[in-house]
Amino acid sequence: MPVHEHLEFNSDSDRFHQKNQFRFRLYIAFIFTLILFAILITRMTQLQWVEHDRYQGLAEGNRISIETLPPTRGKIFDRNHILLADNQPVYTLKFIREKMDNIDSATLAIQVILNNIEPKRIYEFFKKFKQKNRSKSYTLPFTLSEEQAAQFSVISHKHPGITLTARLKRTYPYGATAVHALGYVGRINQKELKNLDPKAYRGTDIIGKSGVEKYYESTLHGSPGIQQVETNVRGRILRKLETLPTTPGKDIHLTLDIKLQQFAEALMGEMRGSIIAIDPQTGEVLAFVSTPVFDPNLFVDGIDHKSYNTLVNDPNRPFINRAINGRYPPGSTTKPFMALGAIENNFISPNQKIYDPGFLAYKDHRYRDWKRTGHGLVDMNKAIVESCDTYFYELSLDMGIDNIHNALAPFGFGAHTGIDIYGESKGILPSQQWKKEVKGKSWYRGETIISSIGQGYNLTTPLQLARAAAILANRGKIIRPHLVRSHKTETLEQIEIKKISNWEKVIQSMENVMHSKKGTAHKHALHLPFKMAGKTGTAQVFSLNAGDYDAETLDKKLHDHSLFIGFAPVNNPKIAISVIAENSGSGSKTAAPIGVKVIEQFLKMYYPETYPEQTPVNTREN
Amino acid sequence: MKIDPLQTQQVYRKNKGFLESIHIDGWLLFGVLLLLATSIAIVYSASGGDVAVMTRQIIRIGFALTLMLLFAQIPPNILYIFTPWLFLIGIIMLISVLLFGEASKGAQRWLDIGPVRFQPSELMKLVLPMTIAWLFAHSKFPPSFGLLVLGATLIAFTGSLIVVQPDLGTSLLIGLSGLSVLFFAGLPWKVIFTAFAGILLSAPIAWHFMHAYQKQRVLTFLTPESDPLGSGYHIIQSKIAIGSGGIDGKGYMGSTQAHLEFLPESTTDFIFSVLAEEFGLLGVIGLLILYSFVIARGLYIASKAQDNFTRLIAASFMMTLFVYIFVNIGMVSGLLPVVGLPLPLMSYGGSSLVTLMISFGILMSIHTHKKLLTK
Repeated sequence: MPVHEHLEFNSDSDRFHQKNQFRFRLYIAFIFTLILFAILITRMTQLQWVEHDRYQGLAEGNRISIETLPPTRGKIFDRNHILLADNQPVYTLKFIREKMDNIDSATLAIQVILNNIEPKRIYEFFKKFKQKNRSKSYTLPFTLSEEQAAQFSVISHKHPGITLTARLKRTYPYGATAVHALGYVGRINQKELKNLDPKAYRGTDIIGKSGVEKYYESTLHGSPGIQQVETNVRGRILRKLETLPTTPGKDIHLTLDIKLQQFAEALMGEMRGSIIAIDPQTGEVLAFVSTPVFDPNLFVDGIDHKSYNTLVNDPNRPFINRAINGRYPPGSTTKPFMALGAIENNFISPNQKIYDPGFLAYKDHRYRDWKRTGHGLVDMNKAIVESCDTYFYELSLDMGIDNIHNALAPFGFGAHTGIDIYGESKGILPSQQWKKEVKGKSWYRGETIISSIGQGYNLTTPLQLARAAAILANRGKIIRPHLVRSHKTETLEQIEIKKISNWEKVIQSMENVMHSKKGTAHKHALHLPFKMAGKTGTAQVFSLNAGDYDAETLDKKLHDHSLFIGFAPVNNPKIAISVIAENSGSGSKTAAPIGVKVIEQFLKMYYPETYPEQTPVNTREN
Repeated sequence: MKIDPLQTQQVYRKNKGFLESIHIDGWLLFGVLLLLATSIAIVYSASGGDVAVMTRQIIRIGFALTLMLLFAQIPPNILYIFTPWLFLIGIIMLISVLLFGEASKGAQRWLDIGPVRFQPSELMKLVLPMTIAWLFAHSKFPPSFGLLVLGATLIAFTGSLIVVQPDLGTSLLIGLSGLSVLFFAGLPWKVIFTAFAGILLSAPIAWHFMHAYQKQRVLTFLTPESDPLGSGYHIIQSKIAIGSGGIDGKGYMGSTQAHLEFLPESTTDFIFSVLAEEFGLLGVIGLLILYSFVIARGLYIASKAQDNFTRLIAASFMMTLFVYIFVNIGMVSGLLPVVGLPLPLMSYGGSSLVTLMISFGILMSIHTHKKLLTK
């Protein structure tokens, strides 16, 4: 017998009784349903019969509709109040299907007037339009020049249902300059739509897509206003009453100097790479170059397929923001930081000498110096000035990878810099733990050796390098690079300094790179009336993440990357810089002269006193 | 010797028709199809003749009909076996919505599973009443006090998980669908009346705990004219649409309220207003008759069901359907406060349609998977 038998209906009469009880409840439920439906019908009778005349009148006189007034997007200026992102009035056409009498003739007329647009694209717009809501207004996705607008006005009486309207369009007067910092706006896509507050974006169809335009979207956007619009029965606007004023987006001032930016971009020429210049005292980014560039104006109204494909398929990958996403082996630019870590932690004293025969033999392998014949006896100064590899090979074996990691980490390697644009890469600052977690393997000491000269797993972004140079220039004050001027003064953290003379010695060696006869970059600094510090780097490419730069021109892409970091003036640094030129040979040949020129230009512009003397006076503008 | 209805081998009635052989109830299908056809027509008009909107609605309806057909094939005893597990899954999903759900318009209701965005509370609309019915499946009516308390606890627990999303409206409606099972299982009248009195008395306390936007809705409901351009705007425009429709309406595609865009959400929550404007009082009565017909058929299926489990879920599904209809129409006509609820089988949109059609599939399954009892 089933266990639950006593729970079942105990007898036929019981079963019958229970079934009846259930049916009784069903009847009650149904009667309840009918009663409530009757109440609804009573309500409808009241609205549709008794009060019909009143509502009929209200519907006919329904003339107050609510319109949203989209906010004007905040403008973007450079540090000297030069306009970088503006809103310009442009003309466009709006269509309401219900009011148009002949869509085909309108299509033809517009194809004739907009002779700069492929007729097919206009045809396709109307093909879709014919299937859309007939009472809503749709905007032509193209803009009309003033001349075209005038041409349309002449024939507009023949085409009811089409209105010529002016709207504000985002424009970037400097075009491609600084596009990777500034970013651009474009049409809101489906994915963005999901995460937007529909109220705040009513009437707005663009949104920041990258760079500062994206990061500061909420500041730039503002909030829409509401206005009551009184219309006649046909929907023609008679009167407007504003009820909630629009709050326009706030203007933003960048820390960039657009003149310096243009100067720096020009120096890069056709090369791929990046230049970052930072004010080491504040973290303000003065120049933010990633080349090649592209024109953000193309994206504002939606880019056409052809231009987009050209950009996407460009082997030089203009969309990559190399300044924050390009991950490069730092090469010899890592050496000053290595040296500082070693002397601060007593692995070696600055004057201690190591003999360099041109290689380090470890196990069965010879790790070669760039100078085959060797540098002979090398102390720390010489190791930095002549960029001796063997010195650092030796040093690294004494330190071990984890000590190297701990010495470099405070300078921000392997971590986000916290810059105010999205999508920054962390780069890699390897350690035993890192390798175990990411590669699942244990560390080999041979890998320590190549790490010491910024090869192997080490990857940094140009921004990280510039920041590290700035921190060194600052004598350990940790700045956060930023692109938008803020009025708050941040309290900066400080790297623990064991002996300030250690820092000065490293900086002195970097000065010697530029100004002593043996320095790797000294021929570029001969003419300078001020003293600067620098370090060149030449990074081998085969360790670069090949997937990022899939290249047709493979042979050229195997050339070394040219790197340079530096700051000036040495004693009161006003600018710190990093330069990376992809596949452009040695650091002293390509990157160093670019870095020197940018620094020189900046000091000329902002500290003319540095010329001809070396005593900078604080007379910055703003 | 008694026969456990859930274990009896299925023996089908002889000379069944074609529809019945594929487990479809012809009358129910007829009512539902009529409503869906109306839906397509009204959605097209309310969207101002937007072909894309209508096409999407047709695709959704096709999908939902397929689901209904599939669920009609599942014998009730299989559902019975799965019910507690579905409930467990539902509860886990509700909790994960709270933990990692995607916030949209200030409330977390969605769960992202790969390409699908999913609203677990939608699943609970079906599973909660099924679970309560499952509890009472082998009990006599009314069930013992302990079982009733257990049922009420499950309802309260599920409801509270949805309340904190926060989604008071859905939580109340799902709670009601669970409570309707208690009612059909024979909850004593005196308990029912006591509970009603309790709710009336506790209303002021509930007011205290409401979100600002919920309070605003209630206030607007009481005096919509006090805020003609804010929240009251919807109701005023909706009433104008309904009222101006008159007895016989302005004719198909004739809704000026929707086409001049005075009526908000005209294809979704306020679709009834478009129907009332275009087809008038006669159209409204026709629609309610159609709904009553579907509900009556569903309750009939419940009355013919052979065991407690199927009886209770059939009856409860119909009550849920009724409550949704009543609340939506009550809302757009200004009888009830504005709660964002679609009109069943009419409004543009997918998730509520899918749930509803599944429930019709289950009803059809109950009616067509009958066993020959030995007596």
